[in-house]
Amino acid sequence: MDERETEDRDLMSRVAARDGTAFARLFEVHGSTALGLLLRILGRRSEAEEVLQEVFLQVWMQADRYDEVRSTPRGWILMLARSRALDRLRRRDSARRREEAAGEEAGEAIPPVGTERLETLERKRQVTSALGALSPDQRRCIELAFYEGLTHTQIAERLEAPLGTVKSRILLGMNKLRQALSAPS
Amino acid sequence: MSDIHTPRIEELLPAYALGALEGEELRELEEHLAGGCEECGRQLALWQGDLEELAAAVPPVEPSEITRARVLRLTGAAAAAPAPMPAVAPRRTSSWRMAAAASALLALALWGLLGQVRMEREVQRLESDRERLRRQVEVLSRQVGSMRTEVLQAKQDLQVLAGPGVQAVTLAGLGPSPGAKGRTYVNPSTHDALFYAFDLPALPADKTYQLWFIADGKPVPAGVFAVDPRGTASLRVQQVADVARIQAWAVTVEPRGGLPQPTGAMVLKGA
Repeated sequence: MDERETEDRDLMSRVAARDGTAFARLFEVHGSTALGLLLRILGRRSEAEEVLQEVFLQVWMQADRYDEVRSTPRGWILMLARSRALDRLRRRDSARRREEAAGEEAGEAIPPVGTERLETLERKRQVTSALGALSPDQRRCIELAFYEGLTHTQIAERLEAPLGTVKSRILLGMNKLRQALSAPS
Repeated sequence: MSDIHTPRIEELLPAYALGALEGEELRELEEHLAGGCEECGRQLALWQGDLEELAAAVPPVEPSEITRARVLRLTGAAAAAPAPMPAVAPRRTSSWRMAAAASALLALALWGLLGQVRMEREVQRLESDRERLRRQVEVLSRQVGSMRTEVLQAKQDLQVLAGPGVQAVTLAGLGPSPGAKGRTYVNPSTHDALFYAFDLPALPADKTYQLWFIADGKPVPAGVFAVDPRGTASLRVQQVADVARIQAWAVTVEPRGGLPQPTGAMVLKGA
Protein backbone atom coordinates (compact mmCIF):
# COMPACT_ATOMS: atom_id res chain seq x y z
CA MET A 1 0.00 0.00 0.00
CA ASP A 2 1.56 3.32 -1.02
CA GLU A 3 1.41 6.63 0.81
CA ARG A 4 -1.42 7.85 -1.39
CA GLU A 5 -3.58 4.86 -0.61
CA THR A 6 -2.83 5.09 3.11
CA GLU A 7 -4.00 8.69 3.19
CA ASP A 8 -7.05 7.80 1.09
CA ARG A 9 -8.12 5.10 3.49
CA ASP A 10 -7.71 7.47 6.41
CA LEU A 11 -9.76 10.11 4.57
CA MET A 12 -12.50 7.60 3.77
CA SER A 13 -12.93 6.59 7.40
CA ARG A 14 -13.08 10.26 8.40
CA VAL A 15 -15.61 11.04 5.67
CA ALA A 16 -17.73 8.15 6.95
CA ALA A 17 -17.62 9.94 10.33
CA ARG A 18 -18.97 13.10 8.61
CA ASP A 19 -15.68 14.99 8.50
CA GLY A 20 -16.18 17.77 5.94
CA THR A 21 -12.49 18.67 5.84
CA ALA A 22 -11.55 15.10 4.94
CA PHE A 23 -14.25 15.16 2.26
CA ALA A 24 -12.82 18.39 0.81
CA ARG A 25 -9.38 16.78 0.71
CA LEU A 26 -10.75 13.64 -0.97
CA PHE A 27 -12.37 15.80 -3.61
CA GLU A 28 -9.16 17.75 -4.07
CA VAL A 29 -7.17 14.57 -4.59
CA HIS A 30 -9.57 12.59 -6.81
CA GLY A 31 -11.98 15.16 -8.27
CA SER A 32 -9.90 15.88 -11.34
CA THR A 33 -9.27 12.20 -12.18
CA ALA A 34 -12.95 11.40 -11.71
CA LEU A 35 -13.88 14.35 -13.95
CA GLY A 36 -11.36 13.18 -16.57
CA LEU A 37 -12.99 9.75 -16.60
CA LEU A 38 -16.50 11.22 -16.74
CA LEU A 39 -15.51 13.46 -19.63
CA ARG A 40 -13.92 10.49 -21.42
CA ILE A 41 -17.19 8.57 -21.10
CA LEU A 42 -19.74 11.34 -21.57
CA GLY A 43 -17.91 13.61 -23.98
CA ARG A 44 -19.64 16.76 -22.68
CA ARG A 45 -18.00 18.92 -20.08
CA SER A 46 -21.18 20.33 -18.55
CA GLU A 47 -22.74 16.90 -18.15
CA ALA A 48 -19.51 15.45 -16.76
CA GLU A 49 -19.35 18.21 -14.14
CA GLU A 50 -22.98 17.54 -13.22
CA VAL A 51 -22.34 13.81 -12.77
CA LEU A 52 -19.20 14.60 -10.77
CA GLN A 53 -21.41 16.39 -8.25
CA GLU A 54 -23.69 13.36 -8.07
CA VAL A 55 -20.71 11.06 -7.57
CA PHE A 56 -19.32 13.05 -4.69
CA LEU A 57 -22.77 13.43 -3.17
CA GLN A 58 -22.90 9.64 -3.20
CA VAL A 59 -19.41 9.47 -1.67
CA TRP A 60 -20.51 11.81 1.11
CA MET A 61 -23.75 9.97 1.75
CA GLN A 62 -22.47 6.40 1.43
CA ALA A 63 -18.88 6.55 2.67
CA ASP A 64 -19.85 4.14 5.43
CA ARG A 65 -20.63 1.54 2.78
CA TYR A 66 -17.13 1.61 1.36
CA ASP A 67 -15.51 -1.83 1.73
CA GLU A 68 -11.73 -1.53 1.92
CA VAL A 69 -11.28 -5.24 1.23
CA ARG A 70 -12.91 -5.00 -2.18
CA SER A 71 -11.26 -1.87 -3.58
CA THR A 72 -9.10 1.14 -2.90
CA PRO A 73 -10.87 4.44 -2.16
CA ARG A 74 -9.75 5.71 -5.56
CA GLY A 75 -11.08 2.58 -7.24
CA TRP A 76 -14.39 2.90 -5.41
CA ILE A 77 -14.80 6.56 -6.42
CA LEU A 78 -13.79 5.94 -10.04
CA MET A 79 -16.09 2.92 -10.37
CA LEU A 80 -18.96 4.96 -8.88
CA ALA A 81 -18.19 7.62 -11.47
CA ARG A 82 -18.03 5.10 -14.30
CA SER A 83 -21.26 3.45 -13.23
CA ARG A 84 -23.14 6.75 -13.01
CA ALA A 85 -21.72 7.96 -16.31
CA LEU A 86 -22.72 4.73 -18.06
CA ASP A 87 -26.24 5.04 -16.62
CA ARG A 88 -26.38 8.54 -18.05
CA LEU A 89 -25.02 7.32 -21.36
CA ARG A 90 -27.60 4.57 -21.68
CA ARG A 91 -30.35 7.13 -21.35
CA ARG A 92 -28.94 9.12 -24.21
CA ASP A 93 -29.17 8.55 -27.91
CA SER A 94 -25.67 7.32 -28.75
CA ALA A 95 -25.63 8.69 -32.28
CA ARG A 96 -26.50 12.18 -31.06
CA ARG A 97 -23.85 11.92 -28.36
CA ARG A 98 -21.13 11.15 -30.86
CA GLU A 99 -22.04 14.11 -33.03
CA GLU A 100 -22.06 16.55 -30.13
CA ALA A 101 -18.96 15.17 -28.50
CA ALA A 102 -17.07 15.52 -31.75
CA GLY A 103 -18.17 19.13 -32.02
CA GLU A 104 -18.26 21.58 -29.20
CA GLU A 105 -16.12 20.13 -26.47
CA ALA A 106 -13.36 18.19 -28.10
CA GLY A 107 -9.89 18.78 -26.78
CA GLU A 108 -10.91 20.15 -23.41
CA ALA A 109 -9.26 17.44 -21.38
CA ILE A 110 -6.00 19.17 -20.75
CA PRO A 111 -3.97 17.51 -18.03
CA PRO A 112 -2.70 19.94 -15.43
CA VAL A 113 1.05 20.07 -15.36
CA GLY A 114 2.96 19.45 -12.18
CA THR A 115 0.02 18.57 -10.00
CA GLU A 116 0.47 14.83 -9.90
CA ARG A 117 2.89 12.64 -8.08
CA LEU A 118 5.72 11.34 -10.21
CA GLU A 119 4.75 7.80 -9.37
CA THR A 120 1.19 8.48 -10.57
CA LEU A 121 2.49 9.89 -13.83
CA GLU A 122 4.78 6.89 -14.21
CA ARG A 123 1.87 4.52 -13.59
CA LYS A 124 -0.16 6.32 -16.23
CA ARG A 125 2.62 5.98 -18.72
CA GLN A 126 2.67 2.29 -17.93
CA VAL A 127 -1.09 1.99 -18.52
CA THR A 128 -0.80 3.93 -21.76
CA SER A 129 2.06 1.73 -22.81
CA ALA A 130 0.06 -1.39 -21.82
CA LEU A 131 -2.86 -0.21 -23.94
CA GLY A 132 -0.40 0.35 -26.76
CA ALA A 133 0.62 -3.28 -26.50
CA LEU A 134 -2.90 -4.40 -27.44
CA SER A 135 -3.95 -4.88 -31.01
CA PRO A 136 -6.27 -2.10 -32.23
CA ASP A 137 -9.17 -4.59 -32.30
CA GLN A 138 -8.53 -5.77 -28.75
CA ARG A 139 -8.20 -2.23 -27.54
CA ARG A 140 -11.39 -1.14 -29.30
CA CYS A 141 -13.41 -3.98 -27.74
CA ILE A 142 -12.17 -3.19 -24.23
CA GLU A 143 -12.82 0.53 -24.69
CA LEU A 144 -16.36 -0.10 -25.92
CA ALA A 145 -17.05 -2.21 -22.83
CA PHE A 146 -15.32 0.09 -20.38
CA TYR A 147 -16.19 3.57 -21.62
CA GLU A 148 -19.54 2.84 -23.26
CA GLY A 149 -20.81 -0.01 -21.09
CA LEU A 150 -21.51 -2.31 -24.04
CA THR A 151 -21.92 -6.08 -23.59
CA HIS A 152 -20.32 -8.78 -25.76
CA THR A 153 -23.33 -8.88 -28.07
CA GLN A 154 -23.58 -5.09 -28.38
CA ILE A 155 -19.88 -4.80 -29.20
CA ALA A 156 -20.25 -7.51 -31.85
CA GLU A 157 -23.14 -5.58 -33.40
CA ARG A 158 -21.31 -2.28 -33.25
CA LEU A 159 -18.17 -3.71 -34.87
CA GLU A 160 -20.07 -6.12 -37.11
CA ALA A 161 -17.80 -8.88 -35.84
CA PRO A 162 -18.66 -12.45 -34.79
CA LEU A 163 -19.58 -12.79 -31.09
CA GLY A 164 -16.88 -15.40 -30.45
CA THR A 165 -14.25 -13.09 -31.93
CA VAL A 166 -15.30 -10.25 -29.63
CA LYS A 167 -15.16 -12.52 -26.58
CA SER A 168 -11.67 -13.73 -27.41
CA ARG A 169 -10.42 -10.19 -28.19
CA ILE A 170 -11.57 -9.04 -24.77
CA LEU A 171 -10.06 -12.02 -22.98
CA LEU A 172 -6.74 -11.75 -24.78
CA GLY A 173 -6.68 -7.99 -24.48
CA MET A 174 -7.35 -8.04 -20.75
CA ASN A 175 -4.63 -10.64 -20.21
CA LYS A 176 -2.15 -8.54 -22.18
CA LEU A 177 -3.10 -5.54 -20.12
CA ARG A 178 -2.50 -7.51 -16.94
CA GLN A 179 0.92 -8.62 -18.11
CA ALA A 180 1.95 -5.12 -19.14
CA LEU A 181 0.74 -3.63 -15.85
CA SER A 182 2.46 -6.31 -13.79
CA ALA A 183 5.78 -5.89 -15.57
CA PRO A 184 8.37 -3.89 -13.64
CA SER A 185 8.38 -0.29 -14.82
CA MET B 1 -21.62 -27.41 -12.27
CA SER B 2 -21.03 -23.74 -11.62
CA ASP B 3 -19.70 -24.22 -8.10
CA ILE B 4 -16.61 -26.01 -9.39
CA HIS B 5 -13.71 -23.71 -10.24
CA THR B 6 -12.74 -24.36 -13.85
CA PRO B 7 -10.50 -22.56 -16.37
CA ARG B 8 -13.63 -21.73 -18.35
CA ILE B 9 -15.25 -20.02 -15.37
CA GLU B 10 -11.99 -18.16 -14.73
CA GLU B 11 -11.98 -16.89 -18.31
CA LEU B 12 -15.31 -15.20 -17.75
CA LEU B 13 -13.88 -12.97 -15.02
CA PRO B 14 -12.25 -10.22 -17.15
CA ALA B 15 -15.39 -9.68 -19.19
CA TYR B 16 -17.44 -9.74 -15.98
CA ALA B 17 -15.21 -7.07 -14.41
CA LEU B 18 -15.65 -5.00 -17.59
CA GLY B 19 -19.42 -5.41 -17.46
CA ALA B 20 -19.49 -7.07 -20.90
CA LEU B 21 -20.74 -10.45 -19.72
CA GLU B 22 -24.41 -11.25 -20.30
CA GLY B 23 -27.03 -13.99 -20.57
CA GLU B 24 -26.29 -17.52 -19.52
CA GLU B 25 -22.58 -16.85 -18.92
CA LEU B 26 -23.36 -13.99 -16.55
CA ARG B 27 -25.90 -16.07 -14.64
CA GLU B 28 -23.46 -18.97 -14.40
CA LEU B 29 -20.58 -16.82 -13.09
CA GLU B 30 -22.73 -14.95 -10.59
CA GLU B 31 -23.97 -18.25 -9.25
CA HIS B 32 -20.41 -19.44 -8.93
CA LEU B 33 -19.28 -16.25 -7.15
CA ALA B 34 -22.25 -16.44 -4.82
CA GLY B 35 -20.99 -19.90 -3.90
CA GLY B 36 -17.99 -18.15 -2.33
CA CYS B 37 -15.13 -19.27 -4.64
CA GLU B 38 -12.09 -17.67 -3.03
CA GLU B 39 -9.85 -17.97 -6.07
CA CYS B 40 -12.39 -16.24 -8.29
CA GLY B 41 -12.89 -13.55 -5.64
CA ARG B 42 -9.15 -12.93 -5.56
CA GLN B 43 -8.83 -12.84 -9.34
CA LEU B 44 -11.84 -10.60 -9.72
CA ALA B 45 -10.28 -8.11 -7.31
CA LEU B 46 -7.12 -8.15 -9.48
CA TRP B 47 -9.12 -7.50 -12.66
CA GLN B 48 -10.95 -4.68 -10.94
CA GLY B 49 -7.60 -3.29 -9.86
CA ASP B 50 -6.46 -3.31 -13.49
CA LEU B 51 -9.59 -1.46 -14.53
CA GLU B 52 -9.03 1.09 -11.78
CA GLU B 53 -5.61 1.72 -13.34
CA LEU B 54 -7.25 2.06 -16.71
CA ALA B 55 -9.79 4.52 -15.32
CA ALA B 56 -7.14 6.54 -13.51
CA ALA B 57 -4.99 6.78 -16.64
CA VAL B 58 -7.34 9.27 -18.31
CA PRO B 59 -6.05 12.83 -18.47
CA PRO B 60 -7.32 14.60 -15.33
CA VAL B 61 -9.58 17.62 -15.73
CA GLU B 62 -9.83 20.26 -13.02
CA PRO B 63 -13.45 20.75 -11.95
CA SER B 64 -14.85 24.24 -12.48
CA GLU B 65 -15.11 26.56 -9.50
CA ILE B 66 -18.89 26.22 -9.62
CA THR B 67 -18.74 22.43 -9.39
CA ARG B 68 -16.11 22.65 -6.70
CA ALA B 69 -18.23 25.07 -4.64
CA ARG B 70 -21.34 22.93 -5.07
CA VAL B 71 -19.58 19.74 -4.05
CA LEU B 72 -17.99 21.31 -0.99
CA ARG B 73 -21.30 22.89 -0.02
CA LEU B 74 -22.69 19.37 0.36
CA THR B 75 -20.94 19.14 3.70
CA GLY B 76 -20.85 22.78 4.65
CA ALA B 77 -17.12 22.54 4.04
CA ALA B 78 -17.07 25.19 1.33
CA ALA B 79 -16.01 27.97 3.69
CA ALA B 80 -13.24 25.80 5.04
CA ALA B 81 -11.98 24.32 1.82
CA PRO B 82 -8.67 25.56 0.53
CA ALA B 83 -8.08 26.48 -3.08
CA PRO B 84 -7.11 23.59 -5.38
CA MET B 85 -3.64 22.38 -4.48
CA PRO B 86 -1.26 19.84 -5.90
CA ALA B 87 -1.80 16.30 -4.74
CA VAL B 88 1.72 16.37 -3.31
CA ALA B 89 0.74 18.87 -0.58
CA PRO B 90 2.28 17.68 2.67
CA ARG B 91 -0.10 16.12 5.15
CA ARG B 92 1.25 18.04 8.12
CA THR B 93 -0.87 20.98 7.02
CA SER B 94 -4.08 19.14 7.89
CA SER B 95 -4.23 20.30 11.55
CA TRP B 96 -3.57 23.88 10.38
CA ARG B 97 -6.34 23.48 7.86
CA MET B 98 -8.74 22.19 10.46
CA ALA B 99 -7.96 25.18 12.69
CA ALA B 100 -8.47 27.50 9.73
CA ALA B 101 -11.68 25.69 8.91
CA ALA B 102 -12.94 26.08 12.48
CA SER B 103 -12.05 29.79 12.48
CA ALA B 104 -13.70 30.30 9.13
CA LEU B 105 -16.87 28.53 10.26
CA LEU B 106 -16.93 30.55 13.50
CA ALA B 107 -16.46 33.78 11.57
CA LEU B 108 -19.21 32.70 9.21
CA ALA B 109 -21.54 31.93 12.13
CA LEU B 110 -20.82 35.31 13.78
CA TRP B 111 -21.26 37.10 10.52
CA GLY B 112 -24.57 35.32 10.10
CA LEU B 113 -25.68 36.28 13.61
CA LEU B 114 -24.75 39.94 13.14
CA GLY B 115 -26.48 39.87 9.81
CA GLN B 116 -29.62 38.55 11.47
CA VAL B 117 -29.59 41.29 14.15
CA ARG B 118 -29.09 43.94 11.46
CA MET B 119 -31.89 42.42 9.45
CA GLU B 120 -34.29 42.44 12.43
CA ARG B 121 -33.52 46.12 13.11
CA GLU B 122 -34.10 46.92 9.48
CA VAL B 123 -37.43 45.11 9.55
CA GLN B 124 -38.50 47.11 12.65
CA ARG B 125 -37.46 50.36 11.00
CA LEU B 126 -39.37 49.50 7.83
CA GLU B 127 -42.46 48.54 9.83
CA SER B 128 -42.33 51.84 11.71
CA ASP B 129 -41.94 53.73 8.40
CA ARG B 130 -44.84 51.82 6.94
CA GLU B 131 -47.11 52.78 9.89
CA ARG B 132 -46.08 56.45 9.63
CA LEU B 133 -46.74 56.46 5.89
CA ARG B 134 -50.08 54.72 6.40
CA ARG B 135 -51.16 57.54 8.78
CA GLN B 136 -49.98 60.19 6.32
CA VAL B 137 -51.95 58.54 3.57
CA GLU B 138 -55.07 58.54 5.78
CA VAL B 139 -54.70 62.28 6.53
CA LEU B 140 -54.08 63.10 2.88
CA SER B 141 -57.06 61.00 1.81
CA ARG B 142 -59.30 62.91 4.18
CA GLN B 143 -57.92 66.22 2.89
CA VAL B 144 -58.48 65.15 -0.68
CA GLY B 145 -62.06 64.08 0.16
CA SER B 146 -62.74 67.40 1.86
CA MET B 147 -61.24 69.40 -1.03
CA ARG B 148 -63.25 67.40 -3.50
CA THR B 149 -66.44 68.29 -1.62
CA GLU B 150 -65.43 71.95 -1.55
CA VAL B 151 -64.68 71.95 -5.26
CA LEU B 152 -68.03 70.35 -5.99
CA GLN B 153 -69.76 72.90 -3.83
CA ALA B 154 -67.92 75.78 -5.45
CA LYS B 155 -68.88 74.41 -8.83
CA GLN B 156 -72.55 74.27 -7.85
CA ASP B 157 -72.35 77.80 -6.39
CA LEU B 158 -70.81 79.01 -9.59
CA GLN B 159 -73.66 77.47 -11.59
CA VAL B 160 -76.11 79.51 -9.49
CA LEU B 161 -74.14 82.74 -9.88
CA ALA B 162 -73.29 82.31 -13.54
CA GLY B 163 -76.87 81.80 -14.74
CA PRO B 164 -78.57 84.50 -16.84
CA GLY B 165 -80.75 87.00 -14.98
CA VAL B 166 -79.44 86.28 -11.51
CA GLN B 167 -81.01 88.59 -8.98
CA ALA B 168 -78.89 89.95 -6.16
CA VAL B 169 -80.34 91.34 -2.95
CA THR B 170 -78.35 93.13 -0.24
CA LEU B 171 -79.37 92.71 3.41
CA ALA B 172 -78.49 95.28 6.05
CA GLY B 173 -78.00 94.87 9.81
CA LEU B 174 -80.84 95.67 12.17
CA GLY B 175 -81.36 96.03 15.94
CA PRO B 176 -78.70 94.19 17.90
CA SER B 177 -76.22 93.88 14.97
CA PRO B 178 -76.31 97.08 12.94
CA GLY B 179 -72.91 96.49 11.38
CA ALA B 180 -73.89 93.08 9.92
CA LYS B 181 -74.42 92.60 6.18
CA GLY B 182 -75.90 89.98 3.97
CA ARG B 183 -76.41 89.18 0.28
CA THR B 184 -78.59 86.75 -1.65
CA TYR B 185 -78.30 85.61 -5.26
CA VAL B 186 -81.28 83.93 -6.86
CA ASN B 187 -81.10 82.04 -10.14
CA PRO B 188 -84.54 82.47 -11.71
CA SER B 189 -84.27 79.55 -14.04
CA THR B 190 -83.15 76.91 -11.50
CA HIS B 191 -84.85 78.45 -8.45
CA ASP B 192 -81.63 78.01 -6.49
CA ALA B 193 -80.32 80.75 -4.21
CA LEU B 194 -77.09 81.52 -2.36
CA PHE B 195 -76.95 83.52 0.84
CA TYR B 196 -73.84 85.05 2.47
CA ALA B 197 -73.70 86.76 5.88
CA PHE B 198 -70.90 88.90 7.34
CA ASP B 199 -70.17 90.31 10.78
CA LEU B 200 -72.97 88.56 12.63
CA PRO B 201 -72.27 87.81 16.30
CA ALA B 202 -72.14 84.22 17.51
CA LEU B 203 -75.33 83.00 19.23
CA PRO B 204 -75.88 80.95 22.40
CA ALA B 205 -76.07 77.18 21.83
CA ASP B 206 -79.88 77.11 22.14
CA LYS B 207 -80.36 79.76 19.42
CA THR B 208 -79.89 79.78 15.65
CA TYR B 209 -80.10 82.22 12.77
CA GLN B 210 -82.93 81.47 10.33
CA LEU B 211 -83.22 82.85 6.77
CA TRP B 212 -86.61 83.74 5.26
CA PHE B 213 -87.88 85.06 2.00
CA ILE B 214 -91.17 86.93 1.87
CA ALA B 215 -93.32 85.80 -1.01
CA ASP B 216 -96.83 87.05 -1.57
CA GLY B 217 -96.59 88.80 1.80
CA LYS B 218 -95.83 85.66 3.77
CA PRO B 219 -92.50 84.56 5.28
CA VAL B 220 -91.19 81.27 3.93
CA PRO B 221 -88.41 79.45 5.89
CA ALA B 222 -85.20 79.10 3.78
CA GLY B 223 -82.85 77.33 6.22
CA VAL B 224 -80.98 77.78 9.49
CA PHE B 225 -77.29 78.57 9.90
CA ALA B 226 -74.55 79.36 12.40
CA VAL B 227 -71.64 81.76 11.92
CA ASP B 228 -67.92 80.98 12.09
CA PRO B 229 -65.57 82.81 14.50
CA ARG B 230 -65.19 85.61 11.97
CA GLY B 231 -68.97 86.14 11.93
CA THR B 232 -69.50 84.87 8.39
CA ALA B 233 -71.78 82.17 7.02
CA SER B 234 -73.10 80.86 3.73
CA LEU B 235 -76.19 78.91 2.85
CA ARG B 236 -77.50 77.30 -0.25
CA VAL B 237 -81.27 77.41 -0.72
CA GLN B 238 -83.20 75.27 -3.16
CA GLN B 239 -86.68 75.59 -4.58
CA VAL B 240 -87.18 79.26 -3.82
CA ALA B 241 -90.25 81.00 -5.19
CA ASP B 242 -90.28 82.88 -8.50
CA VAL B 243 -88.16 85.99 -8.30
CA ALA B 244 -91.17 88.11 -9.20
CA ARG B 245 -93.07 86.88 -6.14
CA ILE B 246 -90.25 87.52 -3.63
CA GLN B 247 -90.59 90.88 -1.95
CA ALA B 248 -87.81 90.61 0.61
CA TRP B 249 -85.19 88.48 2.43
CA ALA B 250 -84.70 88.46 6.20
CA VAL B 251 -82.75 86.74 8.99
CA THR B 252 -84.17 86.25 12.49
CA VAL B 253 -82.88 84.72 15.69
CA GLU B 254 -84.90 81.60 16.53
CA PRO B 255 -84.76 78.65 18.93
CA ARG B 256 -82.32 75.92 17.89
CA GLY B 257 -83.61 73.94 14.92
CA GLY B 258 -85.72 76.84 13.58
CA LEU B 259 -89.47 77.40 13.36
CA PRO B 260 -92.06 77.46 10.55
CA GLN B 261 -92.91 81.08 11.38
CA PRO B 262 -90.53 83.80 12.56
CA THR B 263 -90.80 84.62 16.28
CA GLY B 264 -87.49 86.24 17.26
CA ALA B 265 -85.64 89.47 16.59
CA MET B 266 -84.85 90.36 13.00
CA VAL B 267 -81.12 90.99 12.47
CA LEU B 268 -80.82 91.33 8.67
CA LYS B 269 -83.28 92.52 6.04
CA GLY B 270 -83.10 93.44 2.36
CA ALA B 271 -85.42 93.88 -0.61
